[in-house]
Amino acid sequence: MPEAVEKRLDQEPREGRVLPAFALVGWRWVSRNPVATIVPILLPFMFLYFLWRISPPEYFPLEVAGAMLFTTQNIGSWCLSDSAYWRIEQRLQDLFVASPMGKVRYLFGIAFSNLIPAAPALAILAVILALVTPVTLFGWLVLIAAILVIWVTFSAIGLAVSSRLESPREVWPVGNLIFTTLGIISPLYYPLEILPPVWQGVARLLPATYAALLVQDALGLRESAPGEMALDAALLLISAVVGILLALRLYRWREK
Amino acid sequence: MAFGLKWAGAGVFCATEVRVQFHEWLAILTGTIVQAVLLIFVWVLAPALLAIALVGALVYSVFLIGQRVLNEAAYVRIDHKLNELYHASPMSPEAYFLGMSSGIFLAYLPPILVIAVITVLVAPFDLRTWGVLIACMLAVWSVSATLGYFISTLFKDMKTIWPYSSLITNLLGIVPPVFYPLGLVPAGWRWLALVLPTSSATALVNGAAGFEVLTSGDILLAGGSLAVEAIALFFFGIYWARRTAREA
Repeated sequence: MPEAVEKRLDQEPREGRVLPAFALVGWRWVSRNPVATIVPILLPFMFLYFLWRISPPEYFPLEVAGAMLFTTQNIGSWCLSDSAYWRIEQRLQDLFVASPMGKVRYLFGIAFSNLIPAAPALAILAVILALVTPVTLFGWLVLIAAILVIWVTFSAIGLAVSSRLESPREVWPVGNLIFTTLGIISPLYYPLEILPPVWQGVARLLPATYAALLVQDALGLRESAPGEMALDAALLLISAVVGILLALRLYRWREK
Repeated sequence: MAFGLKWAGAGVFCATEVRVQFHEWLAILTGTIVQAVLLIFVWVLAPALLAIALVGALVYSVFLIGQRVLNEAAYVRIDHKLNELYHASPMSPEAYFLGMSSGIFLAYLPPILVIAVITVLVAPFDLRTWGVLIACMLAVWSVSATLGYFISTLFKDMKTIWPYSSLITNLLGIVPPVFYPLGLVPAGWRWLALVLPTSSATALVNGAAGFEVLTSGDILLAGGSLAVEAIALFFFGIYWARRTAREA
């Protein structure tokens, strides 16, 4: 490379570029494929409509909050899909590895780019939630915090799993299996207490369960004992940290 | 070209497709996840509706085969560029479409049979209801396979396909009364539910099983629209296979 070009490149700022770059990636995907934007918005509402038809009406606020967490959790599936597509189909992973961006920045970048298509659904669900149940400022803060923790955790899981896939045909079934199963085991759409004991035991191993319990506590959708909310918050953080560490360990950033 | 069917290669392509699909055991296994999720929702939140939801799961499983046809046809054409080879061979375009659709149907039968066994355990059917169920499932397969094949020919990029595929399957599977009774739909919208292929099929089976009471007008509308859709789309699928083969 000519010296002048190298010098110019060295003068370019290298910090703070990941999020705007991936935001652009997310936006381009949305702007080029409007249906791809509409579907993630519509899907939680289709589930909500179904649940509204079959379940007792008093569960509806809980289901709306659950839909927000489920939508956030599904961002992990989209991260899995994008990352696998870029690596397997477009061979872009080598470019990412060769760039100054490390794997943690890549994780946040890809998670951020996939948050963009999910954001309209989350905003509309937040409006519905405010319409169906009174939400205090504290409730909103807890909800946003739970969403952020779930977003990072499940994006990390999606990215880790994607690095182990070898064929584009594995992307859909593996993503579907992992994220739908995790979403259904956690009591996002129903109270934990009405589930069979074995199911409750398994659910208590998952971070989304504590996110759901914490949000239900904060919104007053569940009767909790004093101190239970703090315990749920602590368990959410612990399970999220464990999940992220496991994901980073599983994640294969470079080929051997 | 006359509309007479040319079946050359359909059997072989069907067998090939069954074999190809059996290599994708994970996709077959996960093909029932949405149904399982909705059944769990019903089991937890409204256990009284479980028998109706199981009928819905059977019909929806067949409807999802269209999504597999969509993915497979697009994958063969876009990623592997194999469809030109197939169309250059002595196999006819309709054999390509029918072989692929029926092969995927056969490969995805095992999970459907598992749901059928659960249905028998929860709510045993008489022979007439089984007859109605099988006829409705075949009609739904005809509709969904044609839709899947048709949509697959409209795209040039695999990544752009999934939103459409997801939108159609969820819009026709989760929103209308497939996993819940027709009676829960507001009266003004019942006609629409009876016209859509998935909910008309489940309404007919639920009516035959005695899970729901349908008027003769409901039966006529549901049965008539499902039959018309199945036959019309079947012939459209053959027409479209021939047309896209020419373009290829």
